[in-house]
Amino acid sequence: MQTTMTSLLAADSPTVMTPITPHLHIEAVTKKFGSFTALDIISLTINEGEFVCFLGPSGCGKTTLLRTIAGLSQQTSGKLIQRGIDVSTLPPQARDFGIVFQSYALFPNLTVFNNVAYGLRNRRADRARINYRVTELLALVNLSGSEHKYPAALSGGQQQRVALARALATEPGLLLLDEPLSALDARVRGHLRSQIKALQARLGVTTIMVTHDQEEALTMADRIVVMNHGVIEQVGTPAEIYHQPASAFVASFIGTMNFLDVTVNSADQVTLAAKPLTCQPHHNMPLGETARLAVRPEAIALTQQQQGLSGEVIDIEFLGAFQRVTLRLTGADQTLLADVPSRDSTSLSLYVGQTLGIHIPAEAARLYPVGSDHL
Amino acid sequence: MTASLLSKSLLRRDAAVSPEALIRLLVLLAGMALLVVGLLFPLFAMLVKSVQDRSGDFIGLANFIRYFQTPALVNSIANSLSVALMATVTVVSLAFVCAYGITRTCMPGKRLFRMLAILPILAPSLLPAISLVYLFGNQGFLRDVLAGHSIYGPIGIVMGMSFWIFPHALMLLTTALTNSDARLYEAAEALGTPKWRTFLTITLPGVRYGLISCLFVVFTLAITDFGVPKIIGGQFSVLATDVYRQVVGQQNFQMGAVVSVILLLPAVLSFIVDRWIQRRQVAQLSARAVPWQPTPSPLRDWTFALLCYTVAGIILLVIGTAVYASLIQFWPYNLSFTLQHYTFQGLGGGGWGAWFNSLKLAFSVALIGTLVIFFNAWLIEKSEGYRPLRQGLHFMAMLPMAVPGMVLGLAYIFFFNQAGNPLNWLYGTMAILVLNTLVHFYTVCHLTSVTALKQLDPEFEAVGASLKVPFWTTFSRVTLPVSLPAVLDISVYLFVNAMTTVSAVVFLYNSDTRLASVAVLHLDEAGYFSSAAAMAVLIFLTSLVVKLLHSALTHVLLNNAQRWRQAG
Repeated sequence: MQTTMTSLLAADSPTVMTPITPHLHIEAVTKKFGSFTALDIISLTINEGEFVCFLGPSGCGKTTLLRTIAGLSQQTSGKLIQRGIDVSTLPPQARDFGIVFQSYALFPNLTVFNNVAYGLRNRRADRARINYRVTELLALVNLSGSEHKYPAALSGGQQQRVALARALATEPGLLLLDEPLSALDARVRGHLRSQIKALQARLGVTTIMVTHDQEEALTMADRIVVMNHGVIEQVGTPAEIYHQPASAFVASFIGTMNFLDVTVNSADQVTLAAKPLTCQPHHNMPLGETARLAVRPEAIALTQQQQGLSGEVIDIEFLGAFQRVTLRLTGADQTLLADVPSRDSTSLSLYVGQTLGIHIPAEAARLYPVGSDHL
Repeated sequence: MTASLLSKSLLRRDAAVSPEALIRLLVLLAGMALLVVGLLFPLFAMLVKSVQDRSGDFIGLANFIRYFQTPALVNSIANSLSVALMATVTVVSLAFVCAYGITRTCMPGKRLFRMLAILPILAPSLLPAISLVYLFGNQGFLRDVLAGHSIYGPIGIVMGMSFWIFPHALMLLTTALTNSDARLYEAAEALGTPKWRTFLTITLPGVRYGLISCLFVVFTLAITDFGVPKIIGGQFSVLATDVYRQVVGQQNFQMGAVVSVILLLPAVLSFIVDRWIQRRQVAQLSARAVPWQPTPSPLRDWTFALLCYTVAGIILLVIGTAVYASLIQFWPYNLSFTLQHYTFQGLGGGGWGAWFNSLKLAFSVALIGTLVIFFNAWLIEKSEGYRPLRQGLHFMAMLPMAVPGMVLGLAYIFFFNQAGNPLNWLYGTMAILVLNTLVHFYTVCHLTSVTALKQLDPEFEAVGASLKVPFWTTFSRVTLPVSLPAVLDISVYLFVNAMTTVSAVVFLYNSDTRLASVAVLHLDEAGYFSSAAAMAVLIFLTSLVVKLLHSALTHVLLNNAQRWRQAG
């Protein structure tokens, strides 16, 4: 398990041009709560300066993994190596990280200044240095001038940024973010997303963020670790995760995906609704058996020609930039979603009951075994 | 013993303990040791004593058999049950009406009523008993109200108990009735439900757990009370006075232990029922409930105002009688004003020295107890690891509630007065009184702490740790200041109880450590009724002043020093 994981990482690693220094090795970490396995032999390497997102549905183990890295929860077995030092059994105090929680956990009785200075005080830094550092940090998160306010007087987004400044104050080698944006409303969230990402890139601090929001993960992360049921489903760049999902679960969890029942003919040929179709080459899928073909709605092209695969429009949903068309395949009891960009929809003059040709490009069609885990 | 075993197994699990974790472990063990030495060992010593004869040989259940063969002793069980039941019915029904008035009507002067209703808690339970003697005794000015019945006996006991237990019941029921969901009442109204049916189908089911819990708390307080039956019981003996009589009167420690074991049973039973109810009560009210607001209704409001102020009037009458009795020469023959009863000169019982001792005890318990209990609660609630130890400590912290004061006091004699006990030196010191009082009132303080701590963000400690700040810094800079109102509540609760308690400490004082509450008892026994009243009033006033200071301090804290509580 461990070796496969490592080889997978090596193959997927995006930063080929710069020398890669690993920051954190997670080696076969398992966490059990009684008979429940929250983390099942997790192995992963996180590189220096990288922004990694743990993404998965609630209960998948992503937060447990983050807390294990922080030492807030002790793994049942396995090792954690940070910058070459085995930190597996160290208490949180002895590890090098800063953390921002979902609730922010700002100290309500301390001012913004004292919250940010909380970790600096302990290092017996002199007053002038603390002042300088806090001012610098608050400027960094655009909160200059709020030094003497109490957390209760700040908006959610401002509190979030104070928590970030507090976590960064001690210059940790590793920044942990536990669903830092989920308590905010959509507009603030979008704004903070780019702010945090820019800040991270500027400081170059290795960052792990836990989120259940795929959009957040896709826009912010250098690499995404998709988790489900305590195991890693896939590790890869946002583009890899989106375009080459390693499993049906990843395919269904990220973005919108059509799953169509097909019969496997050859290494890259399937039959869908009695029509042959070319797809991405697959391995070890038994010929002649049923499998599931995954296609993104936006990859599908609808045409007026009706040779080959076709379907009847049964619903049209207006979604602004594009229209989402639901079609029932001719000759099969299967439906499929196709996204038609708004400027193309006029040429098609879409209406319900219409029959349209469906083109599925081979590079966008991937095969998964029947019965595999998906949402 | 148990603790050291536990620590061994725990230490093995987390082999690489940091200094901080070690300190945490040591403090947890110290907390455990406190309750083991202050509660478990004494109770065990008492159980052992109940199956021994005078020379200390094991005689099985012979003491119990002798107890049940002595009619004078067995009668007390029925006596105790009957007065406790009567007091429970009286207190709970009165308190329910008043709590309903406070929470569900727009009666005028709610705040004033709540302040008056709390007064009995500030007095020792001996005070109402003394007042009742002045009111309804052989020379009492309301004697005729009793139509020939004597106040010395069940009537007096029930009245006296009802007086001092009333505030406890009122607080519990007010809390229960405050948790209402307006949406249910609106739905009932929209469906055209008559008021009485709304009361039966929404109000009563909504408070059922609070009501049952209140019934058991009141019953336990009543059946274990010592002060009231001691002063006003006359020939009517109850379990608590039997313990005292067996031990202090007849020096029969074995029989004292037997009666204690029997007294322990109803208290343990109601403790178990209460725990069981508390567990079911969780999440009865959803977070989205909208609190119900009463709308004015003159007839209802004034009816409840009248009822509540009658109760308040009785409370003032009882306290006023004690004050009056302490200020006149000699009831009923010489009614001229005097302060001589407050000099306590030439009387046994300790006088002002005893008052000073009580003050010392109350301050020590308030200071030490608050710190120890709150810090332990924090360790139980907010630290990782040592789970079995933390759960064990939590369980131990709940136990004192089930142990009546008389039982705890007697258990202390048996344990600390053993010749071979290395802690024997504690016996007869102020320290043992502090320990005893702290343990006696541990549970309520522990629960208050836990409730306050549960309201804090669960990640404060994790943030502190991530910033490499030792846990005690986060405790003192964040947790403690944020929980300050609860901490002050705990300290004033401990102070008032240490000031007024008599049941446990009556066995544990010596000539240097006489306490004011015990002095009331002795002055009354010796027939110095006015001086007894004076001492009881002194205790009451001391508690009142501290309580007022506490209110003022809390007010200042919330409005000025803790400005951060207000947004903006």
